[in-house]
Amino acid sequence: MASRRAFLAGLLAASLPRPSWADLGNPAFLAAGKRGSVHELHGLSSSGDSLFALPLPARGHAAAAHPLRAEAVAFARRPGTFARVVNCLTGTPLAELTPPVGRQFNGHGAYSADGQWLMTSEVVAEGSAGRIGLWDTARYIRVGEWDSGGIGPHDIKLLADGRIVVANGGIQTDPTDRSKLNLDRMQPNLALLSPNGALLDRVEMPADLRQNSIRHLALTARGVAFAMQWEGDPALPVPQLGLWTPGEAPVFCPPDDADSLAMKGYAGSIATGAGLTALTSAPGGALMLFDAAGAPLATLRRADISGVAAGPAGLVASDGQGGLWSVAPDGLQLLARHPVLWDNHLVALPL
Amino acid sequence: MKPALSLICLSLLAGPALADYPETLSDHILPGYAAFAQATAALDQAAQADCAPEALRPAWNAAFDAWLGVAHLQFGPVEDHGHRLAIAFWPDPKALGWKQQKALLTADPAKLEPEAFAEQSVAARGLFGLERLLYPTEDLPADPCPLIRATAHDLATMAAGVNAAWVGGYGDLLLTAGEPGNTTYLSRPEVRQALFTQLAAGLEFLSDSRLGRPLGQPAKPAPEKAEARASGRSLRNVVLALMAMRQMVETLTPDVPRTLAAFDHAIEVAQGLDDPVFAGVTDPAQRLKVEILQQAVQRLREVVLEELAPELDVGIGFNAADGD
Repeated sequence: MASRRAFLAGLLAASLPRPSWADLGNPAFLAAGKRGSVHELHGLSSSGDSLFALPLPARGHAAAAHPLRAEAVAFARRPGTFARVVNCLTGTPLAELTPPVGRQFNGHGAYSADGQWLMTSEVVAEGSAGRIGLWDTARYIRVGEWDSGGIGPHDIKLLADGRIVVANGGIQTDPTDRSKLNLDRMQPNLALLSPNGALLDRVEMPADLRQNSIRHLALTARGVAFAMQWEGDPALPVPQLGLWTPGEAPVFCPPDDADSLAMKGYAGSIATGAGLTALTSAPGGALMLFDAAGAPLATLRRADISGVAAGPAGLVASDGQGGLWSVAPDGLQLLARHPVLWDNHLVALPL
Repeated sequence: MKPALSLICLSLLAGPALADYPETLSDHILPGYAAFAQATAALDQAAQADCAPEALRPAWNAAFDAWLGVAHLQFGPVEDHGHRLAIAFWPDPKALGWKQQKALLTADPAKLEPEAFAEQSVAARGLFGLERLLYPTEDLPADPCPLIRATAHDLATMAAGVNAAWVGGYGDLLLTAGEPGNTTYLSRPEVRQALFTQLAAGLEFLSDSRLGRPLGQPAKPAPEKAEARASGRSLRNVVLALMAMRQMVETLTPDVPRTLAAFDHAIEVAQGLDDPVFAGVTDPAQRLKVEILQQAVQRLREVVLEELAPELDVGIGFNAADGD
């Protein structure tokens, strides 16, 4: 339901000129980070230069970029009750999104290809049942919500045909302190929704990977690559990467034996591009590369590496020590270094 | 920013009051890997001469002792090719290593040739692979001698490789941090950060795995999960790991009295424990003593975060500490 505040914010948004990404020099990526004690959202060129930096009210989790207009929505760390839409040219907040009472944002969102709709991953605070919030981006007014098809949704991605894939992580969290309540019985899934939110397909994890929480997604030629975070015994080597083509069973892609514990069971970000899939693990200080079929190619080391996204010149990764890296199987090449601790995710802008 | 100095210069110039990470390299990391390479070479030689388990145990224990001097260093050359896992694959809750060793005991001897053996699973190799052969807890399906020799040789080869990589270049990457061309460490603080991370993770492993696994849950203790139980080294590993990490801290900075005192306390508690494989975790009174040791290690880790981290101007990684 549209509150009076949201309505007014929407009026404000609609009345302002809407710059395009070209007005900002066509940044290739968005990245949140911390400079000193200040949280910022940066637009980065494909070579790692910062094209703009806007203040954020607090540490964010991920952002989503409007496909046409130079505006982005930055989500609070989960479980969060705010998301801020920013005009990236002026830094002006266009809207503050607040989920309905009893709902919490879960850190990620996605725009429709035409930019008319924003979808946000959310949970019902009590019980963590998943919802996808639907917002009209003309005025950033909430127009509805759908069942996400599982517990604890995290990342969401739109396929080229408009269908929506949701990573339902399966973890029920305490609404106040993020502690995990159901690790002994969690059951993550991947859900495929129609552009209207109807559940079309859903695959669950096999029994031995039931504690592998599906968190993040990247588009592939035939569906999605998905990244998992292991909640079971940390000594057990389990895959962090899976591939899913809707209508088929998911395929799991374990690393080489020698690198089987390099990620410490944790994949933080995932990206696909140039025939490669990259996974990062900040706890492991590692980025793992796979080919399009999911065969491991290389494990690259860099402390606190976390963000990764595909840009026009290939895969780029960011780390919590300020580094931006070009990623290839033969190693990480330094693109740029900023006095900014880059946060969890690097977001590719549509070009 | 200081110019790059060779190791020799540093060892001449640096005194204790100037402790910084170049001393960690010269006084902790390099001697630690050199000692490990030497001990595993001796084990390899002994195994080729006489592979009788009883005869080899002293050399194997000496190699394990040497490993504990560097086992907390989980970065750099030891991470290449999965060497760290292959040197010491523990914990192994599904007994992956033993399953593959049983197959290797009766396999084509060609699989034990050095190049082929280096391709075997990391779970089947290294110190724990040897422990299962030198301190067998069940009947072996075949004469273990060829596998003992292959495993000892492979271990010595890995240790020599890691040592050579540190001496032959990786150590210089620490010393030239922040200089043009060094894209491994973009600044000297990054090296301090990397070294601190080893301590924080090493203490966590001590608490959660070496002590936490046998402790299990109060209603479900798991003495069978203790590290190096067959060889009776579980507690010894805790003591030596604590001593090694304490020595590393001393090379980083002398100005952390609470950290060093917390190390001393944890080491004293461990040395006072009369329970070499934590078998007592099933007995309430004995269990309490292991829990007190675990608490001392946890408190030590807190002090390290409170005192050592700000002293080095580092912390747990921005993203590593966040999770999502």
